Amino acid sequence: MAKTTLAPRKGFLSENPSVLRFLGLLALFTIIISALAEGFGVGVISTSFLKVLGMTLCLCLIAVAMDVVWGYCGILSLGHFAFFGLGGYGIGMWLMYARTEGIVRESLANAPIPATEGEVRDAIATQIFSVVGSTELPFIWGFAHSLTLQLLLIVLVPGLLALVFGWLAFRSRVTGVYLSILTQAMTLALSLYLFQNDTGLRGNNGLSGLQNIPGLLHLPQSTIALWFFWASALALGLGYLLFAWLVSGKFGSVVRAIRDNESRVRFLGYHVESYKLVVFTATAIVSGIAGALYYPQAGIINPAEIAPITSIYLAVWVAIGGRGRLYGAVIGAATVSLLSSWFTGGGAPNINLGFYEIVWTDWWLVLLGLGFVAVTLFFPKGIGGLFDYLVRKP
Amino acid sequence: MPLRTVLSRALAILVLSMLALTAPPRAAVAQDTLQPLLQQYAEELASPSRRSFGAVADALLADGRPGAADFLRRYEAREVVQRPEDGLFFYAEDAGDLVRLIDVDTGAAVADVSSRDVDQIRANAGVRRVIAAALVPFELNAPERARREAALDAISRSAEASQIAPLADSIAQEPDPDLKTRKERLFLLLTAQFGAERAERLEAIAALGGDTSIEARGVLNQLTATRTEVAPSLPESANIARVLTVGEDLTQAEAYADLVDAGLAEPAQTPSELRAVLAENIVDGRVGGVPVGRLSDPMARIEAYEALEDAGAVPPRAAPDEAAQAVAAHVFYDEYVLNDPEITTAAQDALDSTAQAIATYQMADLVLDGLSLASIFFLAAIGLAITFGVMGVINMAHGEFIMMGAYTGYVVQLFIPDYTISLLVALPLAFLVTFGAGVAMERAVIRHLYTRPLETLLATFGISIALQQLAKNIFGTQARPLTAPDWLGGAITFNDIVGISTIRVAIFVLALIFLGVLLYILKRTRLGLEVRAVTQNPGMAASMGINPDRINMLTFGLGSGIAGIAGVAIGLYAQVTSEMGASYIVQSFMTVVVGGVGNVWGTLAGASLIGFLQKGIEWFNPSNTLAAQTFMVLFVILFIQFRPKGIVALKGRAAGD
Repeated sequence: MAKTTLAPRKGFLSENPSVLRFLGLLALFTIIISALAEGFGVGVISTSFLKVLGMTLCLCLIAVAMDVVWGYCGILSLGHFAFFGLGGYGIGMWLMYARTEGIVRESLANAPIPATEGEVRDAIATQIFSVVGSTELPFIWGFAHSLTLQLLLIVLVPGLLALVFGWLAFRSRVTGVYLSILTQAMTLALSLYLFQNDTGLRGNNGLSGLQNIPGLLHLPQSTIALWFFWASALALGLGYLLFAWLVSGKFGSVVRAIRDNESRVRFLGYHVESYKLVVFTATAIVSGIAGALYYPQAGIINPAEIAPITSIYLAVWVAIGGRGRLYGAVIGAATVSLLSSWFTGGGAPNINLGFYEIVWTDWWLVLLGLGFVAVTLFFPKGIGGLFDYLVRKP
Repeated sequence: MPLRTVLSRALAILVLSMLALTAPPRAAVAQDTLQPLLQQYAEELASPSRRSFGAVADALLADGRPGAADFLRRYEAREVVQRPEDGLFFYAEDAGDLVRLIDVDTGAAVADVSSRDVDQIRANAGVRRVIAAALVPFELNAPERARREAALDAISRSAEASQIAPLADSIAQEPDPDLKTRKERLFLLLTAQFGAERAERLEAIAALGGDTSIEARGVLNQLTATRTEVAPSLPESANIARVLTVGEDLTQAEAYADLVDAGLAEPAQTPSELRAVLAENIVDGRVGGVPVGRLSDPMARIEAYEALEDAGAVPPRAAPDEAAQAVAAHVFYDEYVLNDPEITTAAQDALDSTAQAIATYQMADLVLDGLSLASIFFLAAIGLAITFGVMGVINMAHGEFIMMGAYTGYVVQLFIPDYTISLLVALPLAFLVTFGAGVAMERAVIRHLYTRPLETLLATFGISIALQQLAKNIFGTQARPLTAPDWLGGAITFNDIVGISTIRVAIFVLALIFLGVLLYILKRTRLGLEVRAVTQNPGMAASMGINPDRINMLTFGLGSGIAGIAGVAIGLYAQVTSEMGASYIVQSFMTVVVGGVGNVWGTLAGASLIGFLQKGIEWFNPSNTLAAQTFMVLFVILFIQFRPKGIVALKGRAAGD
């Protein structure tokens, strides 16, 4: 191990062939799907399914982040979906503001007197916030008019939140289960906060109409869906590469050592808290970016998306896919979320037992829950663990 | 029906005899019969109207003839008819298909006629209220308690000066002590409002000080009602409550709006009015010489308007500093509606002393609220304190055990209609069901995961969503009722401020019982000893002949069973849905963690802290419970930073570091 850490990073990809393999598969997948898509190729894949695939790629990205923080660093964070949601809210604010601005300007264009900037802002605020009984633009929307600033916020807000929260939590050496519950409390507080009507993000109405991209309204959804699919694939590829690089070197060794025995690493003179903080914050930022790509495809975001349960699901995906291997997280997230949409979307045929008909929309969650139990009990290494058997056999 | 007639007749005689005893001499002297008097007012009686009937009722009663009050009472009850041939009034009674006419004076049956042969008099709701008010003085001395009480209710609903005298008269003879105090209080309230003599009135007002009832506060507030006024200088004659400072008590804009309302200033031009005026004056794409394209700038708009103003096309526009000058030139003040400084001062003093009492009671109410919320948190978390706190198992399905208990209660109620008995059956049954479920879960899943605590989280989360969906499939998505027996349905009210529903008291008591039983089991029984031994050191415990497997199973069953009972209790006041458990799980974990793991007292402390904290924060902003919860969670996060082991931290090896 020491050798690799001292050697320059030139040989990173050649030393980690699995990363190259993953990136190759991802590129292949993207090309095939694009060729089959409606907006570009032959049209076998519908736009709505393309969006599902694009969203799945975003979920895979946050799962990779989760795997780094949990599988490599041993922090079972039940709060990463909060960062995901914050990213979604970040992009959603700009999407909603800019689109409303377009509509408002269009309707004011016919007025005899051109509108002042103040009047335009008031009209936008009324349009967006009348649903929660307000006509003023909250101060947190101060940057919503600018895409650049809002993109910056997508990185900064989850990053800063993770930095402050992590600094507080790691400094007082909250570990294990307690840390999980603490992160869960953070998620709960955030979703409760967002559920309030007067906190400036439209309460439980959330932000909607996010699939309409301002400035690109003339393009069909099939094209936009394809663009977002490509962006999601690119983000997943880059994120995967970044984290694979991060966990491969000396830094990664220390992080894994922290997972295995925190006290021992501390006694060796490492500043454990800093390592944890870097991992926690970096994964939070990537989660925020994943969210910012996910919600324009989903079209709507509301506080229920941030509820603590979604973060637990995230942990379960990673566990099912296999912790401690990045491709495992991708497999887990993709498998469970695609199966979920297949079963709940009515894709799965119902089973008639004669005396009772199993309707999968009703029984899918039961199956999923029992599946979690089975995986935890019988495949502690997850689906990714199956590859070990395949590789070792020959 | 006949029995009722006999009774009511007997009552009428009773009332009359009482009236004869107590009424002023004039009434005793009156010997005339009622019918001629009724004929005087025949027209009004035959077609009563709300507006005029008060005078008629007063006239009938004032004449003092016997039976007048009884007549009005039966008139109110729509038991009076008029015979069209001679215009005479009768009481009507059902006699089979016919109507039996009864003489209003003698009470003798006159004739049985078809209902079509008489005119039924229908007193509408308004008229009946008028009659009830007119009868109040008579009813105050009625022999039945219920009627006297109804009369008091009528007075407190619509108080009038004329009621003071009869009320005062009736106090001395009131046999019922409760009603007597009520009468005395009502007398105070009436005197404070309408008392003829100033000294008497001031005394009554002073006596109301510290009385926290809504009526007393209502009267005092009415006496001290104020309205905001504005004048060039403070008027001498007005009864000033306080002078308002612009900028502190009201904003500049509000002050100016007051000035406009008082007609002392012209309304300021709003931006949209400005735009409308400008739009009307567009000439060749220019307004007052300014091109329309430039009018997106607010300054250009003012420039254009001023140009129009100079040309005389529009009225002059108030400059911004004019508004400020106008506000500065006037005094804003609150004036008492009642122009009687002595009374308002006394009422204000009384209100102030009431405010102190209210603050005390509100604090007491807050404590009660906090206590009840804390006991709910305690109930929800205590099972978890055992499985998580003592065994270290993160049971995400704990909330679903609560749900299971609640649904058990619901199912039992389907079979046993008596709510008391079904509750008595449901409590132990819920324990058994969830105990069984807990043991089954421990055997099937959790015992394989004792070495991997974080993974129990995942496995039990899987069980949790499966159970939730199963409940949804079986019971549907709508909320199911779990009805509390009647004796738990009411509320215990100490006064108008402090009150608590009985069900919450019951939950508090249940929480206390749980605490006692659990402490007893853990500290005083063989099982408890073995549980503590296994918790502290399973290997050593096993070598002492304790079977850790069995103990773990029983402990987990116990924790789950308690969750089931808690479910019944929670279901009684909240709704039973498949998601009810999920809403408690995060809070329950926080309760256990804040309190300190592995200690029943810790859970109690955690539940108290969280419960009181949430109620305390709610107190500052009662309309927003979500905000209170948010702040509460934030506090918990911060708290854990400073006491990572919770309030009651285990020390030494048992802490398991």
